[in-house]
Amino acid sequence: MQDVLLALLAKEPAHGYDLRARLRAALGPLGGDLNDGQVYVTLRRLEKAGLVTARLVGQGDRPDRKVYEPTPAGRERVARWLADVDPAARPAPTDLYLKLVAAASSRLADPVDIVDAQRRELLRRLADVQRAALAEPAGSGPALLLEGAVLRLQADLRWLDACAAHWTDRKK
Amino acid sequence: MGRIILICRLARHDLRRRPAQALLLLLAVAAAATTLTLGLLVRAAADDPWERTRAATAGPDAVATASDARSLRALAKADGVTGALRPLPTVAARLGVRDVAVNAVVQGRDVAAGSIDQPFVTSGAWLRPGSVVVERAFADALRVRPGDAVTLAGRRFTVAGIAVTTGRAPYPSSTPGLIWTTRADAARLPAAQRRWTMPLRLADPSAAPAFAARHPGVTPWQDLSAYATAELRLTNNALISGAWALAILAGLCVALLVGGRLAEQGRRVGLLKAAGATPAVVAVTLLAEHLAVALAAAALGLLAGRAAAPLLSGPNAGLLAGDGPALTPGITAAVLLFAVAVTATATAFPALRGARVSTAHALRDPVRPPRRVGVPPGLPVTLLLGLRIAARRVRRTVLAALSTAVTVAMIVAALAMNREAARKDGRTTGPDFVPGAGNPVTERVTQIILVLAAAMLLLAAVNAILTAWTTTLDTKRTSALARALGATPRQITGGLAAAHLIPATIAATAGIPLGLLINKAAHAAAGSSTTTQIPLLWLAAVLPAALAATTALTAVPLRKAATHPIAPTLTAP
Amino acid sequence: MEPVLRVRRLRKHYGAGGGLVRAVDDVDLDVAPGEALAVVGPSGCGKSTLLHMLGALDRPDGGRVWLGGERIDRLSETAAARLRRRAIGFVFQAFHLVDELTARENVELPALLAGASPRAARRRAAALLDRVGLADRAGHLPAALSGGQRQRVAVARALVNDPGLLLADEPTGNLDTAAAGDVLRLFAELRAEGRTLVVVTHDARIAAAADRLITMRDGAFVDQTVFAPSGLV
Repeated sequence: MQDVLLALLAKEPAHGYDLRARLRAALGPLGGDLNDGQVYVTLRRLEKAGLVTARLVGQGDRPDRKVYEPTPAGRERVARWLADVDPAARPAPTDLYLKLVAAASSRLADPVDIVDAQRRELLRRLADVQRAALAEPAGSGPALLLEGAVLRLQADLRWLDACAAHWTDRKK
Repeated sequence: MGRIILICRLARHDLRRRPAQALLLLLAVAAAATTLTLGLLVRAAADDPWERTRAATAGPDAVATASDARSLRALAKADGVTGALRPLPTVAARLGVRDVAVNAVVQGRDVAAGSIDQPFVTSGAWLRPGSVVVERAFADALRVRPGDAVTLAGRRFTVAGIAVTTGRAPYPSSTPGLIWTTRADAARLPAAQRRWTMPLRLADPSAAPAFAARHPGVTPWQDLSAYATAELRLTNNALISGAWALAILAGLCVALLVGGRLAEQGRRVGLLKAAGATPAVVAVTLLAEHLAVALAAAALGLLAGRAAAPLLSGPNAGLLAGDGPALTPGITAAVLLFAVAVTATATAFPALRGARVSTAHALRDPVRPPRRVGVPPGLPVTLLLGLRIAARRVRRTVLAALSTAVTVAMIVAALAMNREAARKDGRTTGPDFVPGAGNPVTERVTQIILVLAAAMLLLAAVNAILTAWTTTLDTKRTSALARALGATPRQITGGLAAAHLIPATIAATAGIPLGLLINKAAHAAAGSSTTTQIPLLWLAAVLPAALAATTALTAVPLRKAATHPIAPTLTAP
Repeated sequence: MEPVLRVRRLRKHYGAGGGLVRAVDDVDLDVAPGEALAVVGPSGCGKSTLLHMLGALDRPDGGRVWLGGERIDRLSETAAARLRRRAIGFVFQAFHLVDELTARENVELPALLAGASPRAARRRAAALLDRVGLADRAGHLPAALSGGQRQRVAVARALVNDPGLLLADEPTGNLDTAAAGDVLRLFAELRAEGRTLVVVTHDARIAAAADRLITMRDGAFVDQTVFAPSGLV
């Protein structure tokens, strides 16, 4: 969550309300459980860690609002996060998705490159699991178990293909 | 209503997209329709000139000949005779024109016009002493004109005129040729034997044959008419039987086209049906297309037949020509009906069969399920492929074989007719015949045989190309596949062509006895018992010629298809 | 080692102007002997076109292809057919068995086309059908076989002339999971035997069974993954 907010701020400074609205729009129905508190708590943590700075901006007749901006350390962390491939090879779809959204909106990385890196990782995993599965005699218990792993990896890979297609079309 | 509009739209679209196929169909049906039109017109025209000449010459109801005038004078008083000419002296004499000499029949006539059988002068003038009038067909063969000098038995005469008659069949239907002099001139001619001729008027002309049967030496006008118009009837028979053969070939052509279209459009048929079109709509669309083409072809055939008819239906020079044959409503209707019937029959059966194929099947795969055939081992693998493919399309293989068989049969029959014509020509030499002058009867029949044979060969060629075309459509995937697996275009072409050749060989071999049979049947129908021997060498030559032609015609489209790019065919869904 | 297959600036375009499709756009590729290469990418990315040009089924608009040191991008139809029967085995997504021929006859076909004696062709076909587990189906027509069985026959057919290069276009594309598993197992075996394979696929399992994976997008190679040799995991 911290990384996502940091990446969104890397594009342009924003206040908490904006950030929450952008997350909601990106997540659709899945963003329903995202409450205001979560965003503000995360932002305060980032501020405390020295990754963002906040300044007050006046709004005329309404109370002043805090506008957040990443510090150089914060920007470095975003770059590292975007380049990082999940070592587990199977990140939860929402996490990867938010990373892709953040990458696209911050323009700090090409989401298609992130997808490709992720896919390489998944394919390596699939190759390993598959080799193990093929080494087992067909019809054995372990083969069945490994088959399950293979099918889940395949599902992830298919979703990555969809992600790649989505952001490739956006680029055009 | 909406359905009719849909069908018309589909049909129009198809015709526009496939001009070559529509053209082939048009050609095939038009050829058959033209031949039928010609046949019908010639038949209608056969009676006409005779009647006209008979009217113009006050033609006799019967003609009696005898060696003495007295028995003829007795006959003139016989029952049923209402009028007779004074017996005409008739002698055989040698006629000399320029350096040509030929036998002639000389008939002595009154200088004044008679009431029965008065020859109708078409050029020059009627007799005066010292001159002759020549029967027109004889004059044509001799190439004489009024004013020319001729000799009869060594005496000089001048040709006063040219005339036609119905008292005797014109040269060379009856020989020797006829020439008229005055009675006095005829009597002065030296002759070994003198005969007498007497034209008769009967109370009941239709009973002339019965009268002739009762009195020896009498020929009824019906026989004379039959002799005089024999060539037109022969022409008509050749044309009608040719029209039948062409109709069969045209029908096969239509069926092949439909088969090809269904193979080409298998998927489209499925899609149409998936979109809710009933099998009937699909079949009716094809039918509508073909009927439109057939009607156009029939119209074309009527016009072409009408244009060509004068060339074939003109009577021989011995009779008076009329205005030429006319398209009666009856003939027009018959030709239209014929074109529509042939096309509808040949379209409806395969189209309905194709349309009845289940929708899912048509969508899945346009090709029909394969059939296993035992093939002797050791055959080249491409020939094996070709044979399997041929076995899979039995109906089309049969259609193509039929086309070959009919063509070979008709060619054999044509060869036989041609041979007869040549033999008849062979008999037209002798002292009775004008040397160097052709025989108009056999000349015309030979021409017709040539034209019919050409039309038949054209249709057979169209059919062979269509067969090859449908084969390339059906085998598009298989041959692309075989090529992907390493078969060269030459191997594919060779295999498919060889597979075509096997049924073609069987069909051509069967066609030879069939042709001889047709010839025999034609003779039987004509009431003649003579059979024609065709040299064995000719028959032996027909077979390889037919096969070589079939191979050449099929190999070209097959070869063209075998060099198409493979990749699109293999990637197509 | 000298590559079995070498491709330089290979190009194939369809259409023109605004409708121009760069099916394959200046692609370079080397395939080493015994290498199993997978090419993946979304449908329409040009991978099938690439495969057709590698197998001399289609002519490139530009570039060169060498197979075993021999230029194959400008062959005549006849020369291409001779090359295919000798040096290349094909496996297609739609199986592409000859409907009119039995399983055994299908396998024999390339051998007979290549001039093998009927006896030798029959012997090799029998051995290969046995290997793909279809010895008892040899006399069946393709219509009587399941999808997986047809594809195994197709693999046997591709191997009958012992080609130096095996090309496969979506070999599991028309198969259910179980049948795809059989074909996958077969490809894993071929790879283990050291056959040179180029597989075009969007099936990740087949792709993951390769030594190297190339991702293609819009006619160009955009990504490459080299898998660790088995046993080192």
